[in-house]
Amino acid sequence: MSSIDEPIPIEGVTYRQLEIEKKPLTPGYVPRDPALVPKANRAAVVNPVRTCMPFGAMFAGLGMHRGLPFVQGAQGCTTYVRYTFCRIFQEPASIANASFHEDAAVFGGRKNFTEGIRNLVVRYKPRVVTVVTTCSSEIIGDDMASFVKVAKKRLVSELGPEDGNRVRLVLVSTPSFAGSHVAGYDRASRAFLETLAADHSRPNNRVNIIPGMLMPGDVREIKHLLAEMGVAAHVLFDISDVFDTPLMPPQTLPYYPEGGTRVEEVEDMANSMATFALCPNEGGLGARYLEQKFEIPAFAGPVPVGVRNTDLFLERLARVTGREAPKTLRDERGRLLDFMADTLHHTMMKKVALFGDPDLVTGLTRFVCELGMEPVAVLSGTQTKTFAADIEGLTGEFGHTPAVFNGSDLFEFEETLKTMPVEVLIGNSKGADIARELRIPLVRTGLFVYDRVGYQKRPVVGYRGGERLLADLVNAILDSSYPEERTQQL
Amino acid sequence: MAIKNTPAAGSGRVPFIDPARADHGVCVGPGRQIPACDQRTLPGAMSQRSCAYYGARWFLAQLRQVLHLVHGPVSCAYYGETVRKKWYPVFSTDLTENEIIFGGEAKLLSALRELAARFPDHRALLVYVTCAPGITGDDVDRVCRRAERDTGMRCVPVHCPGFLGYHQAAGHEIGTRVFLEHFIGRGGPGEPGGPGEPGPRDINLLGEFDVMGDYRVIKGLFRRLGVNVVNAVTADASVESLARAHRVRLNLIHCRRTGGLLAEEMEDRYGIEYRKSSFFGLTETSASLRRLGEWLDCRAEAEALIAEGEAAVAGDLDRYRRELAGKRVGLFFGGSRLGSMLKGYRDLGLEVVAAGSQFGCQNDYREAWTGLNPGTALVDDANEEEVLRFIRQYRPDVIAGGTREKWLAHKFGVPFTVFPQESGPYAGYSGFLNFARDILAALKAPVWRIVKGESRN
Ligand code: SF4
Repeated sequence: MSSIDEPIPIEGVTYRQLEIEKKPLTPGYVPRDPALVPKANRAAVVNPVRTCMPFGAMFAGLGMHRGLPFVQGAQGCTTYVRYTFCRIFQEPASIANASFHEDAAVFGGRKNFTEGIRNLVVRYKPRVVTVVTTCSSEIIGDDMASFVKVAKKRLVSELGPEDGNRVRLVLVSTPSFAGSHVAGYDRASRAFLETLAADHSRPNNRVNIIPGMLMPGDVREIKHLLAEMGVAAHVLFDISDVFDTPLMPPQTLPYYPEGGTRVEEVEDMANSMATFALCPNEGGLGARYLEQKFEIPAFAGPVPVGVRNTDLFLERLARVTGREAPKTLRDERGRLLDFMADTLHHTMMKKVALFGDPDLVTGLTRFVCELGMEPVAVLSGTQTKTFAADIEGLTGEFGHTPAVFNGSDLFEFEETLKTMPVEVLIGNSKGADIARELRIPLVRTGLFVYDRVGYQKRPVVGYRGGERLLADLVNAILDSSYPEERTQQL
Repeated sequence: MAIKNTPAAGSGRVPFIDPARADHGVCVGPGRQIPACDQRTLPGAMSQRSCAYYGARWFLAQLRQVLHLVHGPVSCAYYGETVRKKWYPVFSTDLTENEIIFGGEAKLLSALRELAARFPDHRALLVYVTCAPGITGDDVDRVCRRAERDTGMRCVPVHCPGFLGYHQAAGHEIGTRVFLEHFIGRGGPGEPGGPGEPGPRDINLLGEFDVMGDYRVIKGLFRRLGVNVVNAVTADASVESLARAHRVRLNLIHCRRTGGLLAEEMEDRYGIEYRKSSFFGLTETSASLRRLGEWLDCRAEAEALIAEGEAAVAGDLDRYRRELAGKRVGLFFGGSRLGSMLKGYRDLGLEVVAAGSQFGCQNDYREAWTGLNPGTALVDDANEEEVLRFIRQYRPDVIAGGTREKWLAHKFGVPFTVFPQESGPYAGYSGFLNFARDILAALKAPVWRIVKGESRN
C-alpha cells in the first residue's frame, strides 16, 4: 500500500476513491442513516447483485450450437451484455442487434426486426436465433410473435423453403423491468422447449439436464458425473464448449464454437426419461413444461453443490435410470469427506456470509453448513418465492439462524455485515469492495466473477467441485488469518 | 506505396466489407471519397457500437461532487457501474412493471430525496433517463425541478435513452449539453462562476478521459510549461471547477468526438479559442507541445521539454522499432482517436493495412485519410464478420481495437491489443514506450508460435 493514489489491483479503484466513498470500519465510523439501510425502505437501489432478463436469455441462446441471440432493442443492451460475457469468460460472444433507433421507438420495430433477421441469417447461417426482447420493444407493445412469423415468411420466400425453414426462431419475451437475468434464463428454457421439443414417440433412454447459469467447468463436471453413471443426456444450453473453447486456427467463416446444444437434441428432449433443472429458478420453467406437456418427470434443484445435494442428484439419477453409482463416484465422495474431516479445524464455527443468485447461494449455504461453518447472512440478488423459506429450513437443520435477504442489494448487505461478526464472504466479484472494507477474505463463486481469471473453468458442483471450493475456502482463511510461523500444524 | 499481398487494394473497394455497406469502406487513394459515416447500423450486424446512455455514462462518470442516479430498470445501472476501467457508485430507481405501467415519477422523486439526504456533501444529482422511462414518458424535468426545490441540491436530467442517435457519440453530445446548460459558469450562491480574468496559461482540456492514467502524464507535461488545467473533461472536473470553465485562455481538444462540440459552443458563448491536439505518439506529442508553446507564448520551455522527452525514450524506442518495423496492423478504434493513434503506429514503423472507427465523424475520417498510405482500407463501423474477413484476407500481424473483438481474433491466432488500453498510460513520451511495449508483447508472445506449429501438423 504505497500511496493512496496507487490503484488497487481489483477493478482499478484507488485508495483515495475508497476514502471518499467509503467510511472505514474504524472507531470513528459514521453509520448510515439506519432508516435507509433496508432496501424495502428505499426507492433507489444501491449496488445491485443482479442484471436484466435479456442477459439470461442471451446466455441461454449462446448455449445452442450455431445459436445466435438477436436483441430487439437499442445497441447498448447488446454491447453491455457482450462486454460482460467477455469480462467473465474471455471468449467472443456473438450477439446481433436490431439497431433500434428513434424511428423504431416511435413507429414500432417491425421493419428493423425483419430486416435484421434476414441480414443475420443470410450472413451467418445460424441454426437457431434466440429473439430477445428488451424494455423498449416491450413498452412500445410490438407484437413480437407476429413479427417472428413475418420474418420467417420472408426468410422462406427469399432463401427458399429448405434454407428458410432450417433456421429456427425462438422468441423469448424478456422485458428487463419484469425480472432479473435469472428469470430471463428460466423463460428461455421454456421458450426453447415450447418451440422446438416435439414428437413423443420414441423413448431415447436419456435424461435432460438444464444446468442453469453455471460455469463451463460446472457443466463439464456434471457431464463427468453422468458419464461415470453411464447415463446419456441432453444438456439444454450447453455452454461448456461455448464459453471455454480451444484455440485452434484456422477456422471457417462465419465462426462458431464447436460446442452448444443442437436443435435436434432439444427436439428429442420430449422423449427423455426425466428432466433435471439443476437450478430450480433457472430452467425450472422448462422442466415443468416438459412434465405438463409430455409427462416427463421434472426435478427442479437443488443444485448439486456439497455432499447431500450431490448425493441427492445421483440418487435421483439412479432411480430414474436404474443405474447404480459406481465405485469411482463413491471414491470421489469419500475423498471429499476425507478432505472435510482433515480441514474441519479451519472451517468449524467460522462465521460466513453468502450472496449471489438464489439457486447457487442456496446450494452453497448447505455446503458451508456441512462444513461446520455458520452462515450469518445470506442474500439473493433476485427475489424468489421460496428463497427465504429454503434458507431458513436448511440452516435450521444445522441449528443456524442467519439473516436472510431475499432480493436485496449490496448496500443493505454491507451495512448489515458491519453489525455482525463475519469471517468469510462467499460471492461474486461485486463483493470485493465489501471484503476490503470488512477486512475479510472473499471466496469468489457464481456468475459474475470478472476480477480473477479461471473461475469459470473450475467446478463447484459435484464432489470434486466441493473439494475445490473447500480448498479455496480454507486457503482464503489461511491467507487472511493464519500466522505464518505455525507451519508445522497446518 | 501500395500494400503487398492485399487483395483488391487497387480498386478502391474494401474487399472485406459487407456488400450492403460498401460505401462505408474505401481503400485510400486519389480522387476517392471518405467512407460514409454517422449512419444507422445495419440491423442484424454484430457492430461494436453502443447506446446513447453508454456514451453519456462514459462522458459523465468521472464528474466529481455529483451523484449518479440511473432512472430505468436496474440493468442499465448495473452495466454503467464500471466505466473506463474504474468503478463508480451508481444508483438506480430499479423500475419494475408497476412503474412502467403507472409511471415512475413518484419513485424517482423519492430516490432523489433519499440520495440528497444520504449524501449531503455532494453538490448535484444527475438523473440518467434510459430507454424505459424515455418511452413511457416520465416527466423527469419536472421531477428534477421539484426535487431541487425540496432538497436544495441541483438535480439535472440527462436525457439519454439508448435509442437516441446511432451510437454512443449521441451520449457524448448529451453530456456536453448537460455541462453547458447546468454546470459551466454556474456556481451556487457565494461560489465562483461569474466572469473573471483567466490566468495567462489557464486552459481546459476537452475529450480526455484518463484511461489508465493518461491524464496524469499529460498533466505532468503541462505542469512543465506552467499550463494550468482548470478542467479536464472529464478526467478531472468537478461541479466547482466547471463553474470556472469559461474563464480560460484556450480550450484544447484531445478527442474531437467528445470535446469538439463543447469547444465550439464555448467559443460561441464565451469567445474562447480552441485547438485540436493529441498526446498519443511521439510526433503528435511533440507537435502538440510545440503548438501549445506558440499559443501560450512559452516556446523555449516547450522546445526544452520536447528535446528532453524525446531523448528520454530514444534508446528504448530504437529497440522497439527494430522489432516492430514492417509489421502489419489493423486498427478498429472507437471514435476520433483513430487519426492521432495512427501516427503513433507509424512512429513505430508499423504498417497500417486497415483502419476504422465505430462512430467516427467526417472530420475524423478526413484526418485519418491524410495519415494513411494509398491502398489502406478505411472502414466505418466494421462489424465482427468484417473483422474476421479482414483477418483471413489480409493476415495482419496484430490488431488493435475494442475488447469485444479481442477474444475472437485470438481464436484465429491473431494477437490483439485493446483500446481503451488495459495497461498504461499511453499518452506522452513515457506512455509511448508503454504503448510500444504492449504491442511488442502481444506480437511476440510464444503462444502464437506454438499455435502455428500445431496447426501445421
Ligand atoms: S439500450 Fe437502453 S436499456 Fe439498453 S443499456 Fe442502453 S439505455 Fe439501457
